[in-house]
Amino acid sequence: MPSWPEKRALIGSHTRRIDGPTKVTGAAKYTSDVQPDGWLYGMILRSKWAKAKITNIKLEPALKVPGIKAAVLAREGERTVRYYGEELAAVAGTTKQACLDALRLIEVEAKPLPFVVREDDAKEESSPRVWDDTPNLSKPGLNEKGDVDKAFSECTAIVEGFYTTPVQLHHPLETHGNTVSWTDEGVTAWSSTQGIGSVRDGLADNLKLQHSQVRVISDYMGGGFGSKFGPGVEGALAAQLSKQAKAPVKIMLTRFDEALAVGNRPSSFQKIKLGAKEDGTLHAYQLESYGTAGIGAGGSSEGGGGGAGFPAPYIYQIPNTRVRQSGVNINAGSARAFRAPGHPTASYGMESIMDELAVKMNIDPVELRIKNDPSEVRRKEYQLGAERFGWKEKYKKPGSSPGPVKTGVGCAGATWGGGGRGTQAEAQVNPDGSIEIRCGTQDLGTGTRTLIAVIAAELLGLKLEQINVRIGDTRFPPSGGSGGSTTAASVSPAIYDVCTKALAQLQEQTGVADARGENWAAACKKLGVQPLNVAGRWQEGLSSSGAGGVQFAEVEVDTETGFVKVKKITCVQDGGMFVNKLTAESQVNGGIIMGIGYALYEERVMDRQSGVVLNPNFETYKLVGLADVPEIDVVLLDMPERGVIGIGEPVTIPTASALANAVANALGVRVPALPITPNRVLAALANKSNAAPAAAKPEV
Amino acid sequence: MKPFQYATATSPAGARELAGENGRYLSGGIDLLGELKEYIAEPKLLVNVKALPGLNKIEPSQQLWSIGTNVTIAELEDHPQVKRVFPGLQQAAAEVGSRQIRNVATVGGNLAQHSRCWYYRHRDVFCLKKGGDTCYARHGENKYHSLFSGNTCISPVVSNLSVALAALEATVIVQRGDKPSRMSIAEFYAKAWDNPTAHHSLEHGDLVLKVEVPAQQRRSAYLQVSEKSMFDWALVSCAAAAKVEGGKLSQARVVLGAVANVPHQVQAANQFLEGKTLDEETANKAADLILENAHALAENGYKIPMARALIRRTLLQLKA
Amino acid sequence: MNDPQTKDALTVSRRSFLKSFGTTAAVAATAQVEAVAAELAKANTEKTYGPDAVPITLNVNGKPLELQVEPRVTLLEALRNHSTLTGAKEVCDRATCGACTVLLNGTPIYSCSKLAIEAQGYEITTVEGLAQNGTLTPVQAAFVEQDALMCGYCTPGFVMSMTALLRKNPRPTAEEVKHACSGNLCRCGTHPRIMQAAFKAAGLPVTSKTEVLPYAKLA
Repeated sequence: MPSWPEKRALIGSHTRRIDGPTKVTGAAKYTSDVQPDGWLYGMILRSKWAKAKITNIKLEPALKVPGIKAAVLAREGERTVRYYGEELAAVAGTTKQACLDALRLIEVEAKPLPFVVREDDAKEESSPRVWDDTPNLSKPGLNEKGDVDKAFSECTAIVEGFYTTPVQLHHPLETHGNTVSWTDEGVTAWSSTQGIGSVRDGLADNLKLQHSQVRVISDYMGGGFGSKFGPGVEGALAAQLSKQAKAPVKIMLTRFDEALAVGNRPSSFQKIKLGAKEDGTLHAYQLESYGTAGIGAGGSSEGGGGGAGFPAPYIYQIPNTRVRQSGVNINAGSARAFRAPGHPTASYGMESIMDELAVKMNIDPVELRIKNDPSEVRRKEYQLGAERFGWKEKYKKPGSSPGPVKTGVGCAGATWGGGGRGTQAEAQVNPDGSIEIRCGTQDLGTGTRTLIAVIAAELLGLKLEQINVRIGDTRFPPSGGSGGSTTAASVSPAIYDVCTKALAQLQEQTGVADARGENWAAACKKLGVQPLNVAGRWQEGLSSSGAGGVQFAEVEVDTETGFVKVKKITCVQDGGMFVNKLTAESQVNGGIIMGIGYALYEERVMDRQSGVVLNPNFETYKLVGLADVPEIDVVLLDMPERGVIGIGEPVTIPTASALANAVANALGVRVPALPITPNRVLAALANKSNAAPAAAKPEV
Repeated sequence: MKPFQYATATSPAGARELAGENGRYLSGGIDLLGELKEYIAEPKLLVNVKALPGLNKIEPSQQLWSIGTNVTIAELEDHPQVKRVFPGLQQAAAEVGSRQIRNVATVGGNLAQHSRCWYYRHRDVFCLKKGGDTCYARHGENKYHSLFSGNTCISPVVSNLSVALAALEATVIVQRGDKPSRMSIAEFYAKAWDNPTAHHSLEHGDLVLKVEVPAQQRRSAYLQVSEKSMFDWALVSCAAAAKVEGGKLSQARVVLGAVANVPHQVQAANQFLEGKTLDEETANKAADLILENAHALAENGYKIPMARALIRRTLLQLKA
Repeated sequence: MNDPQTKDALTVSRRSFLKSFGTTAAVAATAQVEAVAAELAKANTEKTYGPDAVPITLNVNGKPLELQVEPRVTLLEALRNHSTLTGAKEVCDRATCGACTVLLNGTPIYSCSKLAIEAQGYEITTVEGLAQNGTLTPVQAAFVEQDALMCGYCTPGFVMSMTALLRKNPRPTAEEVKHACSGNLCRCGTHPRIMQAAFKAAGLPVTSKTEVLPYAKLA
């Protein structure tokens, strides 16, 4: 069984990104930057209607615009569009301006139909159906364990709550898009993607080509967070345009488009009831929830996936549970997997009710969690984190801090799978001592490129600069898509294998006993004329799955203005063996910051009257800014014996939960909806002061 | 954007002539280009007014400062004398957008900017302000909208400078026709109070020339609350200016932004403050007067307690 | 910011026109010459360009970039679609995110909100123009060292904003860094390390709270 070397110099250290200099000088060419000869600009026409029957689309006026070389329909024939922003047609031309003018000349005959864009409206039987043959509200999936009604009657303390989370948008900074060249030889697509294989397969199927005729390249890409798998409607359109125009066509979505049609995290409306025994042991749990995944349908090229369900009761093992979850369709873009799909939503409801229980039973929230958390790793993380954070000193009775600006603290835990398998890689060792490692994986900013170089350099005793890493091309040995926090665990063992094999073969072929480090150059020279090409693949024993993580948050809430300021977040995170701790820490920062956005700022707003997305921009869909980021204290728990696991997703799961709990602790009342914006804080405070104590019920 | 012609004006008269019926003035461009990109505005010609002579200076004076329309917000923010003499104006400037915006955005452009209501700004919503029938915000998503309005449109004024300049009793000099016209800040926005399609009182062809601010030895302060810490529109903003002698207020002006179609100022409150001791009780009473008749809609009621807190804090800042 | 819109490459300035007549003209002749000069200046600077493409010259990273673009083309579009200088990125196109930040005479602006035709007469600096002879600037080196980048798409914009800040204010406080760079957004969450990079580049102490602890050693 292979295993990582005992003594590690580079693996597990803090290594600077090898593509750092390329990125800071603007030399890195992303999908949006590539300019193949004769490339044309492409643009998509989208539906203005939340629902409409499209009877005819006239492209001819668009083709008359000077500079326009092609125009295609998204779909032939009459069709029904089901959300504002659904693709109708696309054009390609020599300039962006020609495309803008051309789109405005396309004539669309449409009969607007009744639509519904809010979950609470869509739940009603009387609301217009998104899909004619299905009620908007799905039949709840039911999951039961034990005898929940009996169990509640046995509980010493019961708490109930109703919590909601918004639809959250991925908003990677590089929009979705592809530059596609379709010639007689086949298709080359430069894609901003998390899965070059998924784009290749999707395009081949869509365009009725053989997989071997399609090549996908993704050298640098500007973020995905789960939304960039498959070619998308935009990829297929770019290909069709390219065929028609006989030139490469670049379609990059606009920021406006990103809010409409390329995925989101479903919303949730969670009614939760939780009961515990006298000693604080969780005994009974009930959840009724619904949420929207948009129109909730569409194949891989049109989104789909990422339903509204989530694990409940999340990380806790409660003997008596009843979980009923529904999805509700609305006329809005389909959900797609979004960084730890379901988990931040699940965590938020569960950890909120946990804190309500802690307050009711007068048990410290950290102690309540340690008592009930089945994971030994997380229990230790709570202990370590609480001490580091200063929990005992900071945790006070809810709402008890003096003055109008109140402080509060909260915590929450996470669980995630990660792990991975299946990656293949090849190494080419040249007689001049240069080495190239090729792997068809992607670097989303996660540091995959550097991880490959680190492992190769470690195993071969070379310097990082000597390793040439080539990724992001379907001509290279395949790797899986970069999702699920599986990349590191899939790629690392393959690189281990290919380097181990390359070294062994080099040594065997040249007769050099130990070709590593100082001996490398001389050994390679002995190869003669032909380079050494070696294949490797993922091997068991170098990776595993299962990560935890806990986070603590401290906030200051101005009770007069409702403004929430995050002071500090402490995170204790495990992830098995970290190949590169520098990039792993950045992932932690990133996940936390995304969680802050979920907690405090982000929410896609649909307008009931017009059916449009009201905030398709960064002006009113607000991303965390530099001044909003608190002190972030990151502790990586090193567990190298577990092999490589992954870290991208667990780190974004408990952040909003910890923040919501911190705000509730500060105010003495809970803001039961995300995002916790000033208006919601002030409303919760107003409700608190308005709420009269319950009148004693008269005995009958 | 639709295609347009571009020309640079060398005089206010020339600017008006170039703009004609279908032209728009281009200063910093942040607001105008945004409208063009959404096809909310479709001018046939953009007239660059940044080269107009003599309109890009900050001229301090013992009596009356002059700030040219083409002074950038960054210049206003960085000017050491502005900070000293009109701290409220400097604070308002420092919160406009981001540094990149402030480096090109101009004083005139900031005052004349158009509504930020998300229905108005939406390319596919034909709202009342654009000449349609309906104010969608009234019965829709109105958490950012006005507590006070003289007409059906409830899009609030969002210019930070307008709020601070109103408190400082500034005058805006506007080239109207072939001669300059003087307007108080209230007059500059008055038309927006009555007319749903108006963002301010400027007629087509009017050109802001400069702003004059009296140096009256008044203290001033400006505060705002936004959802984000920086680079975010104010949910509510407040500017206050007053003389403070022996702890007593005189010539006080308190103005709220983002709560009405115009910078919101209540004479009764200003009058009440005259001669009063600057303390919490006074500030709270002033807030009561300023917020009298505030009409909360479904989503924006929070602006009332928020404004109350801001009024108190902004006034108390004058103590220091 | 000094606005050179008063003259552009296509006009003859009033001053140079007059200069060509020497400085010893008689009063009457001067008046006539002045009148003609005024007319010429008016005609030149009130010249209307477009709507079709017009020739413009942009001074980018010290080199002239000659293009034919419509007046409605932004500086960002000119760079990304009409040249190979793709360092500045299009992320929002609405002056909200900073990925398109370039310097005009050292001042950071959103190139998405500046017409290309109006960017003439400035020294335009893009991220490609910072490193000389392959040597990273202190800001760029600090970004790499502190890992202030992940996917890198926001990085050119941040580098430009921070470069401009440190040239103006070589030893900024944290508050000043935030104020100067709040116009740049990042989705990957590099913010803490961007702050560290700012201090590193400024030669100020860098603090960060990260620690690695072996699980095996926990109680």
